[in-house]
Amino acid sequence: MPRILWSVGATVLAIPALAHNVTILSDAPVNQEIAGLLVWVLVFSVIIFGVVAGALAYTVWKFRARPGDDELPPQVHGNDRMEIVWTLIPLLIVMVLFVLTAQTLVKLKRPVAGAMVVEAKGWQFWWDFQYPDEGLRTASELVIPVGQTVEVRITSGDVIHSFWPPSLTGKADAIPGEVNRLQFLATKPGNYYGYCAELCGDSHANMRFRILALERQDYDRFVEAYQAYTAPEPISPLEAQGKELFGAQCAACHTVKGTTARGVIGPDLSLFGLRTTLGSGVWENTPENLKRWIRDSAAMKPGSKMPTFPQLSDDDLEALTAYLYSLKLDGFDFAQLPRY
Amino acid sequence: MALPTTASAPRPRASLGAVLWDLLTTVDHKKIGLMYAFVAFLSFAISGVLALLFRIQLWHPDNQFLTGSAFNQMITVHGAMMLFFFIIQAGLTGFGNYIVPLMLGERDVALPRVNAFSFWAFFFAVVLVTVSIFFGNVPQAGWTFYYPLSTSLGSAFYMSAILLLGVSSLLGNANFVATIYNLRAKGMTLWKMPMYVWSIFAASLLNLFTLAGLTAATMVTLLDIKLGLTLFDPALNGDPVLFQQFFWFYSHPTVYVMLLPYLGILAEIASTFARKPLFGYKAMVYAQMGIVLLGMLVWAHHMFTVGQSAIFQIAFAFTTALIAVPTGVKIFNLLGTLWGGKLVMKTPLYWVLGFIFNFLIGGITGVMLSMVPFDYHAQDSYFVVAHFHNVLMAGSGFGAFAGLYYWWPKFTGRMFDDRLGKLHFWLFLVGYLLVFIPQYFMGFLGMPRRYYTYPADVNGLIHLNQVSTIGAVVLTIGGLVWLWTMYKSLRSGPKAPANPWGGWTLEWATSSPPPPHNFDVKFPERFDSERPLYDWERQGLKPEPVDPKTIHLPNPSFWPVFTATALFVLFFGLAAFDWPNAWIWVGSLLTLAGLVGWALEPEYSHPVEHHTVTGKGQAWMGMAWFITSEIGLFAILIAGYLYLRLDGRALPPDERPELWLALVNTFFLVASSFVVHAAHHDLKEGQASPFKLGLLATIVLGVVFLGVQTYEFVTAYGHVPWTENLWMAAFFVIVGLHGLHVIIGASGLALAYLQALFGKLDRKQHGTLEAASMYWHLVDAVWLFIVVLFYVW
Repeated sequence: MPRILWSVGATVLAIPALAHNVTILSDAPVNQEIAGLLVWVLVFSVIIFGVVAGALAYTVWKFRARPGDDELPPQVHGNDRMEIVWTLIPLLIVMVLFVLTAQTLVKLKRPVAGAMVVEAKGWQFWWDFQYPDEGLRTASELVIPVGQTVEVRITSGDVIHSFWPPSLTGKADAIPGEVNRLQFLATKPGNYYGYCAELCGDSHANMRFRILALERQDYDRFVEAYQAYTAPEPISPLEAQGKELFGAQCAACHTVKGTTARGVIGPDLSLFGLRTTLGSGVWENTPENLKRWIRDSAAMKPGSKMPTFPQLSDDDLEALTAYLYSLKLDGFDFAQLPRY
Repeated sequence: MALPTTASAPRPRASLGAVLWDLLTTVDHKKIGLMYAFVAFLSFAISGVLALLFRIQLWHPDNQFLTGSAFNQMITVHGAMMLFFFIIQAGLTGFGNYIVPLMLGERDVALPRVNAFSFWAFFFAVVLVTVSIFFGNVPQAGWTFYYPLSTSLGSAFYMSAILLLGVSSLLGNANFVATIYNLRAKGMTLWKMPMYVWSIFAASLLNLFTLAGLTAATMVTLLDIKLGLTLFDPALNGDPVLFQQFFWFYSHPTVYVMLLPYLGILAEIASTFARKPLFGYKAMVYAQMGIVLLGMLVWAHHMFTVGQSAIFQIAFAFTTALIAVPTGVKIFNLLGTLWGGKLVMKTPLYWVLGFIFNFLIGGITGVMLSMVPFDYHAQDSYFVVAHFHNVLMAGSGFGAFAGLYYWWPKFTGRMFDDRLGKLHFWLFLVGYLLVFIPQYFMGFLGMPRRYYTYPADVNGLIHLNQVSTIGAVVLTIGGLVWLWTMYKSLRSGPKAPANPWGGWTLEWATSSPPPPHNFDVKFPERFDSERPLYDWERQGLKPEPVDPKTIHLPNPSFWPVFTATALFVLFFGLAAFDWPNAWIWVGSLLTLAGLVGWALEPEYSHPVEHHTVTGKGQAWMGMAWFITSEIGLFAILIAGYLYLRLDGRALPPDERPELWLALVNTFFLVASSFVVHAAHHDLKEGQASPFKLGLLATIVLGVVFLGVQTYEFVTAYGHVPWTENLWMAAFFVIVGLHGLHVIIGASGLALAYLQALFGKLDRKQHGTLEAASMYWHLVDAVWLFIVVLFYVW
């Protein structure tokens, strides 16, 4: 397809999206393929819309009854030639679009050799991510390398969810008992927004995630460091108090690598200090938000399965917060990544 | 009942009680149609207000006005009411009931009492959804109630209401088809019917063929909630996606059930207001039937993201792209009808023009959605929300208002203020565009649907949402103008003449509103086109007055509303409490009592000879079409079972129900089919005693069958409960459903037997028996499939 046509089309389509971070018209390869399809549909749409809406406007302008004119117009019953024309032309158009669709579909579905495998499991209302080859686990924020195709194997632990990072690719449903695959590639580093796209309960709107794409060398460094990671020992009495509280209150559900906290019902918090968001990709990861969250997560996120902790004092919360923010790898700061 | 044919003198105003009693017992298709339309437009108003409320929530992502469960309840009830109670009903059962018999030049529908029953069952389905509020059980898993979310989020009332609505719809659709087949003015062939009648015919067929999908999905979900009996549970190797196959097998075709009647209305209005005949009448009919056929083959395009194979997706992308062609033909012909006419720019035509413009956008975005890779993005995003509102709200919804304004003078006998009608139109058009055009762009920005909040830092999202909310306010103002227009017309509108718009179909050949018997005249028997009034005027043919003594209308009856109320008790019991409970038993007994009362009450005071176009009885014709839906129900469940079995998910346990017992039962059931056939033959020969004996023998054989099956079920459940093995679950669902059909069939035969005992059954009056024995043969045929699939295999 001529390059010029493509860019003109993409520009027109992207007018409302130009200034925005998150868009399905991004430069990710999957989205580029889809935008290529949309250009074709745009061309045909403009023609069809122009012809039909034009004919409609012309009809209303030209064929109005004049006051006092009671004579009937010519009683035309139809025209077979016209019927054939307006059956065949649309048929031709949709068949062209169909062939393009089928081609693109097959292309996108073809397994990419050397793809990196990640497992995503949806729970009400958060995402659990596992790296089977690297033996790693994270929650709500998935770290991937730039320039390598990622294959996400998607399933669910309860109801049906759907995994959708719009700036990277389309969606695939997370269905209990089945595994769904989605392949995509990030071309530039960034903090990519993701959503659950299938109604899954009270906090469907708060079941988001982020995909953090790092430059290759940063990603390799991250994997290596995380594999070797054990939670750092507390360096202040406050952190020590926090660790103790965590062991007593949180460890039944949450894991922190290298400690006795090995719960798997809730998100893995091993690298909580690196998280850019909390509450499954919804709120900025700030101490204020974190304290509100721990005290009563359901007040922020309806239907949250995490219990409330009214018994914790303000000091306790300070301590827990200090401990949680100590859980990180040196030399990484995901907050700086541009957001798409 | 003989009727005065002259215009009645001013009568004293009837008391409220008398009016209510009249509405409860009426079998007049016009009153029933108006009641349907009233409930439908009321549902539109209520769910419109719900939409305004959640648009207010979406004004800003930090709003805490409606969050979590409350928000989900709003969107679910909005969707369910708009679709099931408004858009399916207004054009089909509302206007259809009122207008179709008039257009056909007849006095009522084929089965007037069944029609009344359909309405009341529909009414109680609405009530059932409404009372869920008082049980803390408001549907909130989306109108699509996907499994397994729906099992945990109070869907019992919703499922029960949909099943009750299903009974209502199927009987209503069978009634329409029987009416159109059997009752047409002499000389009116199928190809001379008005386009609106064709559209009701097509929509009814489509619903009869596909409603089984919804029934299967809701039934199994309700069984899962109440009994743990399920085909979908992954813990048992079931498949949640099978739910979606069932659900969309109905719910996509139903989009066309929601569209076709309105296309029919628009065609009528376009022809009348352009002062021309329809352009390409036959092409429009063919296109419509093409839509019916293709409409059944596109359902999986709602499931492109569930992870089916590429070839499966490509196949459905193909049919989806293809269906744009006949739909386009309908629109082009609509334009062709307007082209070259002399357009009378009145309110109904405005809605037609608005429809064409909006539906064009909806059609184009629909073709975009058929491009599967784009659909991976658009699915469950605001792009899809904008698309289906484009076709359903600014499409079908505008069609509903077009029809309302077009036939308003006929319904009420009053004209409305044309300027107010146009103001309503402009507010709706502008409001609609403000709400939904931004939503297309929200889709591009990645906003998922059914979100009560959204990221504040995605640029543009807040502004687009705010424009959308402003549009909702404009729509609300439009809604108020609409109410005012109707109120003003009813209160002080000028009296409407018989034919205010110069229409050419038969509903305009009687007073506004028409008398109870519809027409005081007998029409010429020559129909040259779909526009009889135009043709007759040119041919100089005139209707002749008819002798009022020859007009007989069916009597009002209390039994339809009584039976529907009894069914409501039953379905309330199914929804509200654990099974079994007193509500279920009492409801079942009352339903039976209602049917007995119904069967023994004569439909007409005078013995009436019915002439039908086909020569077949009304009950026969109604049942023949109703049965297509029953075949569909077993077919879709068996297809589901075959899939689960062949996929290795549902394997029979070692100890499974015995073949020899099933064969014994097969003998009883097959024998009973022959016996009932012979009995019917005896009746036609006028041999009363052998007939009664044969009928009794049939019923006894049916009861024996049920006894054996009960024994078998208890034994089988004792060996392997359905909660432990998917094959057993499938066995209990399908064979159990068949058992239920045996009970229903035997009850029907028992009613016929009762009629025979009381001397209400003879050679001419044997509708109950015809219908019941046809149903019985169906039950028998299905059983043979079951024996092979569950006992032999």
